[in-house]
Amino acid sequence: MTATRTITFTLNGAPVSADVKPHHNLVELLQTHFGLTGARETCGQGLCGCCTVIVNGRSVSGCLYLASFVDGADVRTVEALDGAGKLSPVQEAFIEASAFQCGYCTPGFILMVTQLLDEHPDPDEEQIKHYLTGNLCRCATYPEVMDAVKLAARKRKAAASA
Amino acid sequence: MATTLNPAAKAGAQVGRSVPRLEGRDKVTGRAEYTHTMRLPGMLHAKLFRSTVPHGRIKSVDTSAAKKLPGVLHVVTVDDVRKVLPHPYYGPAFHDQPILADGKVRFVGEPVAAVISADPHIAEEAVQLITAEYEELPAIYDEVEALDTNIFVHEELKPAGTFADLKHLKGAKGTNLALDYRLRRGDFDKAYAAAAHKFEHEFKTQKVLHLSFEPFACICDYRETGVTFYDSTQGPSFVRTEMARLLGWPENKVRIKVPYLGSGYGSKLYIKLEALALALSMIARKPVKIAYTFEEMFYQITRHPSTFRIKSGVDKDGRIVARKCEVFWNGGAYADIGPRVTQKSGLTAAGPYDIDNVWIDSYALYTNMTPAGALRGFGVPQLVWAYENHTDMMARALNMDPVEFRRKNLAVEGKPHATGQMLKDHPVDKVMDKVLERMEWSKPFDKGGSGHIKRGRGFAIANKAVISPTTSVAIVNVAADGSATLYCGTVDMGQGSDTAMAQMVAEILNIPAEDVRVTPRDTDVTPYDMGTLGSRSLFHMGHAVRRAAEDARDKLKALAKEVGEPEGSNIPIADLFQKRYGMQAGNVIGSGIYKPDYTPPAPGTGQSPNVTPFWMVAGSGAEVEVDIETGHVKITKLVNVVDCGKAINPKSVETQISGAALMHLGFSMFEKMHLDGGQVTNASLADYKIPGFHDLPSVLESHYVEHDQSNGPFGAKGVGEVATFCVGPALANAIDDACGVRLMEMPLNAEAVYRAIRAKQGKPLEEA
Amino acid sequence: MIPFELAEPTSLAAAVKLLDPDDETVRPIAGGTALMLMMKAGVFRPQKLVSLRKIEAKYSGIAASGDGLRIGAMTTLNAVERSADVKKHAPVVTRTMRTLSNVRVRNVATVGGALAHGDPHMDLPPVLMALGATLTIVGPKGERKLPLEELFTGYYETVLDKNELISEVHVPSQGAKKGAYMKVTTGSADDWPALGVAVVLDADGGAIKSARVVGSAATTKATRLKAAETVLNGKTVDDKLLKAAGDAAIEESEFIADVRGSMPYKRELMRVYVGRAVRAAMQGTGA
Ligand SMILES: Cc1cc2nc3c(=O)[nH]c(=O)nc-3n(C[C@H](O)[C@H](O)[C@H](O)COP(=O)(O)OP(=O)(O)OC[C@H]3O[C@@H](n4cnc5c(N)ncnc54)[C@H](O)[C@@H]3O)c2cc1C
Ligand code: FES
Ligand code: FES
Repeated sequence: MTATRTITFTLNGAPVSADVKPHHNLVELLQTHFGLTGARETCGQGLCGCCTVIVNGRSVSGCLYLASFVDGADVRTVEALDGAGKLSPVQEAFIEASAFQCGYCTPGFILMVTQLLDEHPDPDEEQIKHYLTGNLCRCATYPEVMDAVKLAARKRKAAASA
Repeated sequence: MATTLNPAAKAGAQVGRSVPRLEGRDKVTGRAEYTHTMRLPGMLHAKLFRSTVPHGRIKSVDTSAAKKLPGVLHVVTVDDVRKVLPHPYYGPAFHDQPILADGKVRFVGEPVAAVISADPHIAEEAVQLITAEYEELPAIYDEVEALDTNIFVHEELKPAGTFADLKHLKGAKGTNLALDYRLRRGDFDKAYAAAAHKFEHEFKTQKVLHLSFEPFACICDYRETGVTFYDSTQGPSFVRTEMARLLGWPENKVRIKVPYLGSGYGSKLYIKLEALALALSMIARKPVKIAYTFEEMFYQITRHPSTFRIKSGVDKDGRIVARKCEVFWNGGAYADIGPRVTQKSGLTAAGPYDIDNVWIDSYALYTNMTPAGALRGFGVPQLVWAYENHTDMMARALNMDPVEFRRKNLAVEGKPHATGQMLKDHPVDKVMDKVLERMEWSKPFDKGGSGHIKRGRGFAIANKAVISPTTSVAIVNVAADGSATLYCGTVDMGQGSDTAMAQMVAEILNIPAEDVRVTPRDTDVTPYDMGTLGSRSLFHMGHAVRRAAEDARDKLKALAKEVGEPEGSNIPIADLFQKRYGMQAGNVIGSGIYKPDYTPPAPGTGQSPNVTPFWMVAGSGAEVEVDIETGHVKITKLVNVVDCGKAINPKSVETQISGAALMHLGFSMFEKMHLDGGQVTNASLADYKIPGFHDLPSVLESHYVEHDQSNGPFGAKGVGEVATFCVGPALANAIDDACGVRLMEMPLNAEAVYRAIRAKQGKPLEEA
Repeated sequence: MIPFELAEPTSLAAAVKLLDPDDETVRPIAGGTALMLMMKAGVFRPQKLVSLRKIEAKYSGIAASGDGLRIGAMTTLNAVERSADVKKHAPVVTRTMRTLSNVRVRNVATVGGALAHGDPHMDLPPVLMALGATLTIVGPKGERKLPLEELFTGYYETVLDKNELISEVHVPSQGAKKGAYMKVTTGSADDWPALGVAVVLDADGGAIKSARVVGSAATTKATRLKAAETVLNGKTVDDKLLKAAGDAAIEESEFIADVRGSMPYKRELMRVYVGRAVRAAMQGTGA
């Protein structure tokens, strides 16, 4: 049998530890140890983005990321975005633009759009499409997501200048 | 009677307002709960061992090594299932599907054994240790060949008894035919013989599948006192009835709870994992979860591949006078709802045209592939693919403008449909006009110069009859503080039904839609609904909800009278309860039930004056650029227009239109389940591609025409599927317009287009 | 995935020692993006994985010098994408990164993994081959250098021994040369390529002094197309020349059929796209 090891890391700002096996991936770690189900596995192949997690400030596909690899890392999930009960501008924009149907892909989109706007506060459509090529939505809410990204950019700008 | 619990929300004009999704916050925060990610205390996991042969008798299954792996609790085959469920077969139309393969396997991927463990990785490892020996049998894959072969997928047919038109198939042997539906109107043979122009074509559609992003999942928690399912299903009432049947229990001991659904598109209807989860929980005596991987979805349910032979006779004025449709539906190894697709869609096979002489034969066939069922359109997209290509081909051959040819033949309101039903609330002409207007059809069109990029545009139009007759029930509960809760079995899998239903309740009770709570689906409290399918919910459940809300409103009025309020009083609801019960106490409960009128089609001819309560109409226009050196097609514009009656929630309607159209863009352009000797060779998202951001047309437009549905709730009707119908043929017609090649089969991928171009040049692409 | 062991050595030398020349089930893991796919599909069932993530930091960086770039094997594709040095010395690589997979994969996947995997569909190998890159390979007996074009021996096959690791890639500076990479997809737009064509041209006006042309994805391995290069060398670009180059390219390529296209179709794609890649390079619009 393979050895269990204890890893420690920061999860949504709080120090945590967990016992993991080498073959566990990051999605399982978050779901089974911490009850966080916002990152969820769909394709299991890095293509759809449903499993998006932010590790050390960069987005990764949790489905292709070994749980052991977050030892010592800073991990953030969608559950951190509405800290203190307030939705982030991107979350608000997704609701207002109706940028989801079943919602299964939505947390992944929201994290990726947040990253996108951190890097490019005022993205054009080409930039948006390129940044989101790794996020698929079977309900095909792409037009609404496009609107939501633009709306979120405006909201963030307004908040920054307020 | 106004109450405002949510200060931001306003009462009045609730219907017709783009109310943001009630469940939005749960979805954007990642807190919405789905079966696939749910866990119960003490829950076990099951993984499945699947057949590697398409058709064979099981000689032996060796589970000994798997049983020895530490951590494995049970390894289950059908023999173990029989000990807990003596008749382990299920299905909505036929009881043909075994819970685990029983003596025979009928498709690659069919579950043969299941491993149960507390650790899903151990269960997965144990599955690898199972081996099976099969005596391979010849297999049948093609739907047309399946009609006339000596290879039989089933030894004997076993109708479930639910559908009258399947009863005669009981015990039938030596056939793969699971239903033959017929429609006869006028005299096809005579009219065709006399027609000035005759056309005959054959079209095909490929095997594609739903691929909901929440893969199939079910948790069953069985106790002797009752059983609870946590289930990703679109039809909790059906699951309850069928599980009660398998158990021999009354329905009230079976409870189906449905968390949010990571969508369904028709895949999560009827029985999928529930029967197996039940058997496994009975064996393990603990909650057992089955949660599919993405790959496993390829072995559960797909859309029907089809072959459609269509013949039309046209008179010298360009009027279609006769049409014969022979449709072969490839149902795969188990019938699922295929026979219903065959009949309910079969009846619209002749299209939205006014044709006096129509002959339709529609065949449901068993083959040795993953079973096929409903997929957003219930068979209609396959039919439209054929008849709208055929229409263009005829127009071109007759040197008529394809749009004018259609206009001449459209079955407008007041004309009879091929079933004999008079068409009402069927605005084909309005939909067509809207598409043409948005496409600027009357303006000159640039076809591209002498280079390798050629431009073209295409149009298609279609209709569908909603499945009938079906029943929905709803309850509205008004609490003593005036807040209202709706109990309805329609599953909101993303289409926005909860919000739309809440809007209807709110409209009637004169409160803001945001204040209506829609309870999560739970058959212990939500009443019966036939299922969330076929765009039926907004109409059928909408009526039930409307009636339930009206009932509650009337009871509140009666209560007001009882406590001595004058007629027309607008006393707040909370005060009413206070007056009547002396404190914040009591409830008012309204209920509503709806089942439309229906006349069964006459056997043999399919004629009926009332085969459906409403028609759906859709049209699409497409502009493309074809690279004739490689076959690549770029979609520069796609316009989709539907008729939705009245838009209860305009934003939701638009999202349904674009979502359905883009999903169908994938089916039209590149999606295809590749099979080689019965083996799926692209069972992953890496190899089965679906549309992403870069596949969006340069211009995508979604429109609806509001044309009051006279018998609909608030004039509305369903809109979940309708925008899927025309995308494929509109694109194919545009490709033909661009470069003069006609593809008779989907998908319209670059290689298919290129091969057609080469063939047309008289230089067919040679095999290596 | 089924259980396995994970070792996390802190030096490249220790990693080499942990590998086993004769055991298929022991493998290095870098970003893990490619390996995880194989493990999930059950195509690869490891006993043990040797992680390179904790080896010396010098293997995950990019350094520019007079003769070009040194890219450590553990450098992520994202770092390559963002590197100002890469943009300066090998702009064709920067452009290629944009359509290579997606942001999340690039954040994790490494250059070493992209090369060692031997997957003919990957985009980086043909581009680096066209640029004339060289690898540094470390094994139990020390270091060796290998031109990248000699790495691949077949479909998912390389000359690497099971206990050898790529430590670094040396990419000669593109200088004034023009480069382009054409990624041709036949499914959805974000699909893996059905064909990849990379060209790097030493050109003067419309005349090509010398060309390096590499085909991938449609072929069993990334392949240098020398016959096409010969057609192009010393010529002025026109339609006829490009067609001749395309014709030559298909003669020397070994095509594979898959869900992205049949062999004859991929051959036609190659015939057309060699010319289109040359044009794109000349116009500076490639990738
Ligand atoms: C969703 C998805 C989409 C993708 N799309 C594209 C695409 O469009 N274009 C493209 O080019 N690529 C694409 N890729 C592939 C991606 O580029 C590779 O997965 C990645 O480069 C591999 O790097 P890694 O560090 O993750 O490798 P790993 O998975 O860690 O390793 C890959 C292989 O290389 C070996 N290895 C790793 N490092 C070394 C080393 N230093 N020395 C020797 N052997 C080593 C491993 O043992 C293994 O066999 C895609 C991948 C995914 C998951
Ligand atoms: S589940 Fe990880 S990217 Fe799809
Ligand atoms: S909203 Fe359903 S998958 Fe995106």
